[in-house]
Amino acid sequence: MIYFLELAGRPIKLFVEESGKIVLLFLSALTWLVRPPLRLRLIAKQMEFVGVQSLSVVMITAAFAGMVLALQTYYGFRMFGGESLVGATVALSLTRELGPVFTALMVTGRAGSAMAAELGTMKVTEQVDALYTMSVNPVQYLIVPRILAAVLMVPILTILADFIGIVGGYFVGVHLLGINSGIFMARIVEFVEMDDITNGLIKSAFFGLILSLIGTFKGFYTTGGAEGVGKATTEAVVYASVSILISDYILTALMF
Amino acid sequence: MIRLEQVSKAFKGQIVLDHLDLEIEKGKITVIIGQSGGGKSVLLKHMIGLIRPDSGHIYVNGIDIVSLDDKKLNDIRKKFGMLFQAAALFDSMNVGENVAFPLIEHTRLPRKEIMKIAEEKLLRVGLKNVSHKMPSELSGGMRKRVGLARAIALDPEIILFDEPTTGLDPVMCDAIDRLIVETQKQTEATCVIISHDIPSTFKIANKIAMLYQGKIIEMGTPDEVRSSTNPVVQNFIEGKST
Amino acid sequence: MEKFSNEAKVGILVVISIILLGYMAMRVGKFSFTKEAGYTLVVYFDSVAGLALDVPVEIAGVEVGRVRNIALEANRAMVTLMMRPDIQLTKDAKAIIRTKGILGDKYVELIPGSDAAPLIEPGGRITQTIPTTDIDSLLNVLGSVAQDIKSLSQSLSNVLGGEEGERSMRQIVDNVQEMAQTLNDIVQKNNEDISTIVGNFTIFSERLKEIGNANTDDIRSIVDNVRKASEHLETLITGLHEITVKVNEGKGSIGQLINDDQTVKNLNEALASLKGVTEKINKGEGSIGKLVNDDQTVDNLNDALTGINDYIKKQDTYRTFLDYRGEYLFGSEEAKSYLSLRIQPREDKYYLLQVVDDPRGKKSTTEYTRTLDGVTSHEQIVEIEKDELKFSAQISKRYYDIAFRGGLFESTGGVGVDYYMYNDRLTFSLEAFDFDADTNPHLKFKADYTPFQHIYLTAGFDDFISEEGDESFFIGAGISFSDEDIKTLLFNVPIPK
Repeated sequence: MIYFLELAGRPIKLFVEESGKIVLLFLSALTWLVRPPLRLRLIAKQMEFVGVQSLSVVMITAAFAGMVLALQTYYGFRMFGGESLVGATVALSLTRELGPVFTALMVTGRAGSAMAAELGTMKVTEQVDALYTMSVNPVQYLIVPRILAAVLMVPILTILADFIGIVGGYFVGVHLLGINSGIFMARIVEFVEMDDITNGLIKSAFFGLILSLIGTFKGFYTTGGAEGVGKATTEAVVYASVSILISDYILTALMF
Repeated sequence: MIRLEQVSKAFKGQIVLDHLDLEIEKGKITVIIGQSGGGKSVLLKHMIGLIRPDSGHIYVNGIDIVSLDDKKLNDIRKKFGMLFQAAALFDSMNVGENVAFPLIEHTRLPRKEIMKIAEEKLLRVGLKNVSHKMPSELSGGMRKRVGLARAIALDPEIILFDEPTTGLDPVMCDAIDRLIVETQKQTEATCVIISHDIPSTFKIANKIAMLYQGKIIEMGTPDEVRSSTNPVVQNFIEGKST
Repeated sequence: MEKFSNEAKVGILVVISIILLGYMAMRVGKFSFTKEAGYTLVVYFDSVAGLALDVPVEIAGVEVGRVRNIALEANRAMVTLMMRPDIQLTKDAKAIIRTKGILGDKYVELIPGSDAAPLIEPGGRITQTIPTTDIDSLLNVLGSVAQDIKSLSQSLSNVLGGEEGERSMRQIVDNVQEMAQTLNDIVQKNNEDISTIVGNFTIFSERLKEIGNANTDDIRSIVDNVRKASEHLETLITGLHEITVKVNEGKGSIGQLINDDQTVKNLNEALASLKGVTEKINKGEGSIGKLVNDDQTVDNLNDALTGINDYIKKQDTYRTFLDYRGEYLFGSEEAKSYLSLRIQPREDKYYLLQVVDDPRGKKSTTEYTRTLDGVTSHEQIVEIEKDELKFSAQISKRYYDIAFRGGLFESTGGVGVDYYMYNDRLTFSLEAFDFDADTNPHLKFKADYTPFQHIYLTAGFDDFISEEGDESFFIGAGISFSDEDIKTLLFNVPIPK
């Protein structure tokens, strides 16, 4: 009996412990964020890594997401003669939901995993310790720029994803399915509000925080050599993706 | 210079340091020997505040670093240079940037000046024209040299060496040993070296301390240690397994 | 791509995405101005079933505003419309709730009135509404009508349908036939009686004739009386005639007054002088004349009136703000405070005068390089002039949500840009000043958030590309009062008697 309790209790204990550690790391990152120096060069480097280098994958994902959305909704709406709403549906889905979530998932896969791997390697090869010995706080040097870059760049990428996705939807809707272009755009303008876009961007900033926090956390607490680094990377991607989807529901429920 | 008093540390119930007392003298090369996995690295990391003891005090220049906050600890750490076992060079920077790193962080010198100092430090460890290379392009011995150059970049008062000769061929071992002695002479820094390499230890040490089961069981000059009556020490320096 | 630095690449990405965001915002949020600019109108409807907040208000299909609020007042629906500022409506405009699209979205349609009618003031009311042709109620009525018709036809068919119905129908026809027969019989039988009735009538009329003949004398005497009365009337009129003649001849006091030449002369003179005065005024003689006749005067008067008008209008937009803010700098662990006076002659423009108490003062760094025994050493002497107070004087001009500032920033020249969000409650600012040749310019980024009136919170990075290690995150708070607030405050302070 006690054995079974322990069996059930261990994951819960682990979960609570991990959550506590993440929150502590976040708070520590916040305090180090406000302490000078602000490492602009490192932030720029991470922004380039998180933002610029994720550009192609995010844009391809968004374009095809918009295209397939247009295709699917077209067949649905045609049943009751509402083809003109395809544009609005694509635009609303993208700005409110798919733009932020797809972008965040793509960045998690690309940059979140890289953060875990990079920090994990630095941890197991004592580079993190070396930073300490040189009186440089690794949280400030390694984690703050990554979190800041993700929080800033994921919304930026989301703007692009929203736009490219709508362009993709427009291409399929207007050029392939023959919806009138004027009506397609008019319905978008009619139904999409600025709030849809801004709330999507607020969500994406949160996703950026989540993916970078989990990525750096997993890397920063890596133990056990090369195998540990691999494990940390996998866990970072899985946990971050799940957390993004869960928090997406919560944020959506709060905002819309 | 560095004094440890009644320092204890346990990891997950396993005692690594057990009420350990140790005094490191200023301007000398002290080598701490002991079995692998015996807590030598842990002991070294205590001295620079990377690990905090469960109990006890660690004094650096008379200041107890156990109770210091991050900011003051960082000030103390600026007196230290440390060479890690695998050199711990930053993969994302080239050799020059690695050596320049402490200077960029802690001085306000112009960039040109910093790079000049870095070149000079590299020259001092016997490296020339490697600034632009990445750490992954270097051999183990060269990495250790770069690591040493980085450790002495800020002209520290204390240099810590974590197994400097492990994993190197005998020729390289000898070169590194000589480099350590030379560097110590030039900088007059206090050196703490942990090692299980007995021949090199006797070659370079001014003082030798033996760590065994969480305590310092022998401490003295190389001659004193050689003539130690403690069988554990004798077995260790003679390379006998017990 | 190699030749671009990380900063440049990130910068390009950010700029492109901000342009795209701006483009999307312009396309999508083209009526977001209603949040800031525009005016409200109120209209009462009997029913607003299906009308949602923020739906468009249209004239001839063009969106001119949005529904801001729907409330119940005295059992009627009070709808507040936020109108575009450039749309003007006359008082005879009509409002109607219409349905759009297959999904039946409701919106408010306005039908403008005639140009001649007076304008509705902002905050006013559109009095005329056209009852909604609610499809639901229409269908209800149609349904009940159909029901009635159905029941009618049902009973008809009940009566007429089947053998019984046919029989009773035949019976009815038979009855009618019978009745006509009987009627015919009655008339034939009573032929004699009818002749008698007609005879009686003849006798009656003859009697009436006799009565008239008997009273002829009486009628004559009545006519005589009337004649006498008219004779008396004639005498009266003669008397009156005599009185008027007497007056004409100047007899009696009234007669004297009217007939005296002197009086007439006096009157004439009075009229003449009056005429003279008006002539003089007309010619511009005398001060009133000058006043009245001079075009200049009229212009002056007009100007004065315009001026007063302008002044009154200006008083509406001309505002002054007194503002104090404190910032805690994490870098130097000190507080920096600002006291400012903002004079805002127009909504989109203000002048700022500011006194800044900066604990860091003005820093100047001198660097010495010494060479001693072949060892080069560097020495830096940092002088801090703690002249404490710095001054700012800036002018700001606002375009929509973006404002540009320029002038004196903390005793040095500089520029700044502000971006206003959420009804100006959130402001992002970027300032650049102290363009010293030796050091990087002082850049400051801050965000101000006003959760309550008068009080705001601030946070940002100060001097974030500093080369002297002055970069610092800061948080702070401030209070801001307008002249109105101060007035209210002053007038509401109880005065001891």
